[in-house]
Amino acid sequence: MLLTAHPARAQVYGSAAHTVTVQVSVITAVQVAGGSVSLNISNANVVAGQDQMTAVDQSTSLLWGTNSSARKISVATNLAAPKFTLQLFALNPTQGTAAAQVTLSTIAHDLVLNIGRSTGSCTLQYTGTALASQGTGNDTHVITFTVAAQ
Amino acid sequence: MIPFRFRLTGILALTLAALTPGRAQQISIVGGNLLMSVTTGSAGAQPVAVTSTTSSLHWKRQNVISKITVAASCPGQRFSLAVLATNLTYGVAAPQVSLFNGMLATDFVLSIPTGNPLNKTCTLRYTASSTFAQGNSTELGNDVYSITYTLVAQ
Repeated sequence: MLLTAHPARAQVYGSAAHTVTVQVSVITAVQVAGGSVSLNISNANVVAGQDQMTAVDQSTSLLWGTNSSARKISVATNLAAPKFTLQLFALNPTQGTAAAQVTLSTIAHDLVLNIGRSTGSCTLQYTGTALASQGTGNDTHVITFTVAAQ
Repeated sequence: MIPFRFRLTGILALTLAALTPGRAQQISIVGGNLLMSVTTGSAGAQPVAVTSTTSSLHWKRQNVISKITVAASCPGQRFSLAVLATNLTYGVAAPQVSLFNGMLATDFVLSIPTGNPLNKTCTLRYTASSTFAQGNSTELGNDVYSITYTLVAQ
């Protein structure tokens, strides 16, 4: 009697197939964490003999996510004629490159560059500057961050 | 005129064919093809995965313990898709299977007992996901998966 060995092969009873298509939309999300910022320039910020006084805040951060390539984050304020100067710098971005410190105006300025297809965050470092000669007052800014094509 | 014995053979063959279901009838998918769209995401997190349970798998029990495997092809795959058998009427669901291009057949439902060959079913729970780093379909195109379920002896 001749015995031959065959590799074990499971009995197949049938199969069925269908198609599943996965579509991913262009998704962009940006969010400020930490709430409103109040910069108060007071006696504590005064250096005798200097006209310029500054206050710095790093209590808020910016979070974003985008699945598009070649993107950047820009920033603008709604306050057309501020009495004092407000500047912003993106501190320690986890993705992309921080642009130079921005003096906020109603024209959008680059804040973080080369963030394309990423999720990331940075600390928002605001610097308020007033001159003693400008006197007292309040500026209220509504600041808008936008993810845009680079 | 066909001789009587040949006619009898033909009738027997037809009867046997009717009693032995074809392979294509042993397992089928109800619900057709699917389109799954990932549309939202959160800053600092990732796009939100989407789930579909609109398709189901139907099969007939065999005279031996059997199982169902799943395989997929998706040339140029960019995003992620996984499937899980839920609402099983017979058998044991394997853990969720991640589907990727060129994957080998992977266990999907195990230990389907023998018995009544009437249709048994499970819901196909698909989960599609992506990361921000994986991009979007506008720039890269859709992922189109061809997914095959096979009923085999276990």
